[in-house]
Amino acid sequence: MSSADDQTITLVSNDNVSIPVALKVAERSMLIKNMLEDIGESAMESPIPIPNVRKRASPKEVIEWCEHHKDDPATAADDDSDSRKKTTDIEEWDQKFMQVDQEMLFEIILASNYLDIKPLLDVGCKTVANMIKGKSPEEIRKTFNITNDFTPEEEEQIRRENEWAEDR
Amino acid sequence: MAATRADLESTPRRQPLRSLNDLPDEIIQHILYFVPPLDIILSIQRTSQRLHNLSSQPLLWRYHCRVQFKYWDPKHRIRQKLLGGVGDVDWQALYAHRAKVDLETTRILDSTLERQVDRIQKFELIADFGYDAKDTLLQHCHTDEEAEDVLARRYYANAILDHVHRTKALAEWEKILRGEEIPIERALGSFDLFVLHDQPGDLLEISDLLDDIVTRLCLEIPGIVQLCARKKAIAVVKFLRAHNLTGIASEIAYRDLQNNYIGIALQDQGHPSLPLISVAIFCAVAQRLGLDAKCCGIPNHVHAMVCPRNNESLDGGHSTDDNNAEPMYLDPYRSDAEVPVWNLQVMLAAWGIQEVDQPLFLNESSTAGLIVRTSRNILATVHEFRGQAANTDDNHHPTVRLHANPYADLDNAFYSALWANFLFATQPRSEVRSQRHFIPLILEKFEHLYPMDASLIEQYICPLFNNPSVAEHWELHEALRVVRAADQTPKQVTPRDTLAARAIKYKVGQVFRHRRYNYMAVITGWDVECGMGTDWCAHNHVDLLSRGRNQSFFHALVDDTSIRYVAEENIEIVEPEVPIPLMSLAGRFFKRWDQENHVFISNIRDEYPDD
Repeated sequence: MSSADDQTITLVSNDNVSIPVALKVAERSMLIKNMLEDIGESAMESPIPIPNVRKRASPKEVIEWCEHHKDDPATAADDDSDSRKKTTDIEEWDQKFMQVDQEMLFEIILASNYLDIKPLLDVGCKTVANMIKGKSPEEIRKTFNITNDFTPEEEEQIRRENEWAEDR
Repeated sequence: MAATRADLESTPRRQPLRSLNDLPDEIIQHILYFVPPLDIILSIQRTSQRLHNLSSQPLLWRYHCRVQFKYWDPKHRIRQKLLGGVGDVDWQALYAHRAKVDLETTRILDSTLERQVDRIQKFELIADFGYDAKDTLLQHCHTDEEAEDVLARRYYANAILDHVHRTKALAEWEKILRGEEIPIERALGSFDLFVLHDQPGDLLEISDLLDDIVTRLCLEIPGIVQLCARKKAIAVVKFLRAHNLTGIASEIAYRDLQNNYIGIALQDQGHPSLPLISVAIFCAVAQRLGLDAKCCGIPNHVHAMVCPRNNESLDGGHSTDDNNAEPMYLDPYRSDAEVPVWNLQVMLAAWGIQEVDQPLFLNESSTAGLIVRTSRNILATVHEFRGQAANTDDNHHPTVRLHANPYADLDNAFYSALWANFLFATQPRSEVRSQRHFIPLILEKFEHLYPMDASLIEQYICPLFNNPSVAEHWELHEALRVVRAADQTPKQVTPRDTLAARAIKYKVGQVFRHRRYNYMAVITGWDVECGMGTDWCAHNHVDLLSRGRNQSFFHALVDDTSIRYVAEENIEIVEPEVPIPLMSLAGRFFKRWDQENHVFISNIRDEYPDD
């Protein structure tokens, strides 16, 4: 048996495209990693279907990201994320990686969520958060194609509740 | 957020992703964690119904409360809230409250820095926020080196924070006066609050440090809880001493000021502490392990005592005969072993204490008594330090190594001792002189260093002298009136618009050495000729100067925190790279140090517009 470093497995997307991927790269996905642990080494030779990932977004992009980050230290499985401050920094390579159209950005976020690749999900969500920062409600609606479904009364009420924050 | 079985089977998929609205709730909520809270309040919540709902979840706001704010006013009971159900608290409202306090505190501090007027009132507005203002004040204490008003901002943020800490300390001591039982570490930790500044070690942090010691102790001695009281007490004292958590390294350092502070003793690398503080640490740890541990007020050297619990002897089992009800004594400052009671009796007898009086000294000391003892230890150090000021020998003690400028901390420590003595002067057995004795001393410090404490004097001292027939009533009244009036009156403007003023050689912000006394100081104001009365001139031998009273005189802030009045001929301007001893004090009058021109940049242009 070959060493873990160059071992390869085959993933199959929902449109039946087979993609060979280094084991180390595929294991950035906790979904695949757990799946492989469940089915055992013997099954690694057969192709592994990942039906919920669409052709357009990834797996190409997602795999590219995993390739680049294959040597990152593993994230703690259960860090108490609620009591520590989340950093909003995005490293340079990831910033470039995320320079895609909005639909692709959302696809990458959904794929990373489905495949359980937490660091990629975070990078995607931070990118969206950065697009929100400093924008007015109207600008946010425009950027993200959202309809204003408040009644004028509701709008006025929220405005009054949050007024204090305006003179920052 | 791993996929579920249902996700796996839900192919083929929905519409193309055209809007943020096409993302599931859980993802939008995840995104919102990365959006600054004020953006959520001002924009996201006004965007659409769905985003309003998703961004109003208590979990999100509890997260922001948790990561953005460390210090909370006790009224919020934040620890209980964090342990309770997330839905039981309106976290967004709580966040909004803190964010408002934050904005207000910064706004008021900014205006305090602008002009030298109404500062007391502004300080009081911030102090009213209590501990809720601490996080914001800390940020200003750590203002970036490059900021245009870095020294002033740091100085005044620290000054307000110090005031907030003193308010807390006095409130704690007042509880004791009202007869409340408070833990020894809080009673003594209140001295730490007077010198804490922007450092860790407040009452809650001291309590947490003691909890940590107990956790470590239980890990190291797993069977400790099963031991009988006597063995448990010995195990605690051995543990504390093995980890150097009690005592001091050398008796030469006995009078060092830092030995008086339980928070410093717990945090400092060397863990220095006087016997009283060592005993307090022992008691706080032993009590956490269920022992009935107390401080025993033996003169000169406080000991610890551990008393048997109801119907149980110190060695376990029921106690029937009276002998078994005797307490044990310990000296955590210098010994691992139990101190036999006859040892202490011999010691007391040697000091001339009659046998009938001895039980009084072999008993528990009141918390008030321990506070007064600590304040007397502090006063002893202050006097010794001032007495040795001329001594420049490197090895000389006592040293003052607290958190900030040693002279400023000496003032703060002295001030805390005055307050402690004042408040507890009427306590039985406190052996201090009458309360009245401390009023002029407190007022003197108040006028020169702590004008923002007007509210504390009104709260704690004035009510005791309500009767207009006593002299103190008028003394207090007048001191408060003068300080408040001076603060409310805009400074008299002193421009350089006359020939004489233009001829004055030096400017506000220049650093000098005194030709005769050699101290370093910075000029904070000037007069064209000596503006002091005859008495002052006589006392300071002004007429013996070669140019007498008819030369310009300068107000100066000295590196020992004093303000002095200096004749021009005694000034020798110096241009250091950075005048380090002045840096933490100069913010009172200056914005920053100008590295190029070697002068401080004035923040008192409302008084000296042309300097």
